[in-house]
Amino acid sequence: MDVSVPDVEYPDYSDRQLVAVPLALLAVSVGVLAVATVLLGSPVPLGIEFTGGTELRVITGDSPSEIRATFDQEVESITPIASQADTYQLTFQFEDADPLEQRATEAGYTVESVSERSASFAGDSQRQALVGLLVAFAGMAVLVFLMFRTFIPSIAVVASAFSDIVIPLALMRLFGIELSLGTVAALLMLIGYSVDSDLLLNNHIIRRRGAFYTATYRAMRTGVTMTITSIAAMVVMVVVASLLGIPLLPAIGIVLVFGLTADLMNTYLMNVSLLRYYKFEAVGR
Amino acid sequence: MNLAIRDNWRIWLLVVFVVASTVAIFAPVGVGGPTGDAAAGNDTAATESTASQYTNLRFGLQLAGGTQVRAPLVGMTAEGLAFQREEADGIEETVRRELDVGASQVRADARGGTVEVFVDRHVGNVTQPEFAAALQEAGLDADEGDVRMGVTASTRDDAVSVLSSKIDRSGLSGGTVTQAAAPGAQFVVIEVPGADRRTVIDLIGEQGLVQTVALYPVETDNGTEYRTANLTTQDDFRNVGNAQRSEQGEAPGVTVTLTDDAAPEFQAAMQEYGFDQEGGTTCRYDLNRTIEGNMEAFEAAGVEHRCLLTVRDGEVVFGARVTDGLADDFRTGQFVQSPVYQSSAPSFEQVRELEINLKAGALPTELDIENRGTTFYLLPSLAQQFKPLSLLTGFAAVIAVSLMVFVRYRRADVAMPMILTAAAEVYVLLGFAAAVGLPLELSHIAGFIAVIGTGVDDLVIIADEIMQRGNIETSRVFESRFRKAFWVIGAAAATTIIAMSPLAVLSLGDLRGFAIVTIVGVLVGVLITRPAYGDILRVLVLRRD
Repeated sequence: MDVSVPDVEYPDYSDRQLVAVPLALLAVSVGVLAVATVLLGSPVPLGIEFTGGTELRVITGDSPSEIRATFDQEVESITPIASQADTYQLTFQFEDADPLEQRATEAGYTVESVSERSASFAGDSQRQALVGLLVAFAGMAVLVFLMFRTFIPSIAVVASAFSDIVIPLALMRLFGIELSLGTVAALLMLIGYSVDSDLLLNNHIIRRRGAFYTATYRAMRTGVTMTITSIAAMVVMVVVASLLGIPLLPAIGIVLVFGLTADLMNTYLMNVSLLRYYKFEAVGR
Repeated sequence: MNLAIRDNWRIWLLVVFVVASTVAIFAPVGVGGPTGDAAAGNDTAATESTASQYTNLRFGLQLAGGTQVRAPLVGMTAEGLAFQREEADGIEETVRRELDVGASQVRADARGGTVEVFVDRHVGNVTQPEFAAALQEAGLDADEGDVRMGVTASTRDDAVSVLSSKIDRSGLSGGTVTQAAAPGAQFVVIEVPGADRRTVIDLIGEQGLVQTVALYPVETDNGTEYRTANLTTQDDFRNVGNAQRSEQGEAPGVTVTLTDDAAPEFQAAMQEYGFDQEGGTTCRYDLNRTIEGNMEAFEAAGVEHRCLLTVRDGEVVFGARVTDGLADDFRTGQFVQSPVYQSSAPSFEQVRELEINLKAGALPTELDIENRGTTFYLLPSLAQQFKPLSLLTGFAAVIAVSLMVFVRYRRADVAMPMILTAAAEVYVLLGFAAAVGLPLELSHIAGFIAVIGTGVDDLVIIADEIMQRGNIETSRVFESRFRKAFWVIGAAAATTIIAMSPLAVLSLGDLRGFAIVTIVGVLVGVLITRPAYGDILRVLVLRRD
């Protein structure tokens, strides 16, 4: 495998051409989220941590339809655990775990895990997670503006970080990945990760002397290695953790993979073109 | 190779931290053993400890198994009120009457200027405006804005200490009770490793108020009528014995000793209600009926019954007669000299519950698990599997990163130290976790893997910067390149910390651990490991040239 950085012939493309792809994808993502909100009530599927309900992990020889018949309450979803035979994750909107746990035990199921969340607590969590994301993002934006003190380079970083979060959110809706505490953590992590390569690029182009394209290629050489290394770590985490049946880790990993991939595109198409505009047009005048 | 401390202090600093982490992780220290005195009885079940066997690392529920319950305490507090200490009783009385709540459910504190009630709109069906109206009725200048949900800090502290004491005394070891704050709400978080959900909820879900109540007849114009009177609460006991199994036909029970203050009152009440009659009293209390049902049965039977009822959270668990010996003591006044009697229950298990309640005391107010709580249970054997498996996942991630780095640089002297440095970063982080006793959860493992990711990212920046365009001639060139690389690393670290800090403060359960690990990881990286990598590179690169 060769990981040498592909040579993008930046001079061949205009700013508009470069920025078109990431902007189009961002627009599609926002569209997906908006349509989902209108049709389904929330931009991304919410896990029980944010809706309230009960989750059981059980071992049983019963088929999914037999499992449904076992419980008096409606089973919202039955997900088999890939790595372990006859193990299922059951989700209920029903908020009282006692009768469910009892019913499962009576039916001869082995209950491996029970987690129950009241709706009001879940509502609070939802609000807090949203506030947390907004505060984190705002904090990042302020810090970036303080560091560069010029509008275009700063807004380039912030816009790229925004897109790095919105695109994975849309992908979560498309792939049916639930927003859980784990995936919120991953989204926050993305703020940190995505800024890394953007800062590097900005730093090389603005804060140092030298030709624009040389600086860009040098930053790319380092930045692409960084992002691909992180993607590799996360892909391995997703694959291994899902094979071993460890909860939480796959969801965190997959969202990071989405976000980091989006970051590659955003940084080296959108960010580069904004900086080129800044360097050649805005400053030149 | 020049490894003088003056030139390479960054490397030595890393070595010091690695050694310190080793001490923190592996050095045997006097913690982790079974805590406290396990109460009498067979407590062998569920004594799994959170401490690891070989290291000082502690594991949280997701990696140890067990039950976590998280719920707010029921209650509302009015703050910023001004009243004198003498007025407190009157205020409590009025509020109690206005809201129609029980005796111990209102607490007025003149010093703190607070009045709290232990009911709210979820439990007890009293709203904030209703509470404010009751306060106005009591002559206080309070409106709805002064009333907040939740109880005072001192009530929360009381509750936490009662809960810890209950868990310790029940023989479930390694349990922890902590407070967690969220905007607008305060939660109590109870974690008991190895215990199943039902056991924990039964133990903590109830207030655990144990009272001794006298049930006795009085002659009125309409004939015999039965009445009840509260005799004691938990505060009246000087000593509580251990639960005794039933002997010679007697019910199992727990021996209690009254305080010097409570004993004379108790004796006087016994004399007043006629429990001091010769030969003791008769009591055929039927636990399957209500108190009222029993009263009617007694009236119908025509025989005078006098019972000492053991009441737990408002429910009668036992009705006992007074033996002739005890009745003699009440009559002669001997009782005050040795104020000891037995609280009984039909089964040994119930007596154990009584004992725990009596020793630990009652909760000032209930935990609202049902409406606003969350519970989590994970089978310990499954959780135990997650430990090696998540370690394996971490290793796999490290190998993936190593491969990428080798493919990119094709130079062992650049890539090897890079991987070792990133590994050292995680190791120092584990040392930190062991040193502060942070219980590791799955979210922390994710944090560790994320730290490896960001760590290597930054090392790539350093390596690329330092090795650009051939060789480093002088130390000065090295320092200048190193500083340039560090600007990006420092800036990225600052943004990650900013991005994670709301999570470290908010009460979002698992996420807090993740955020803390990431923030500490970034700090360790920026301050210790990444500078050290720069020095390592210089030593290796300068040696080559």
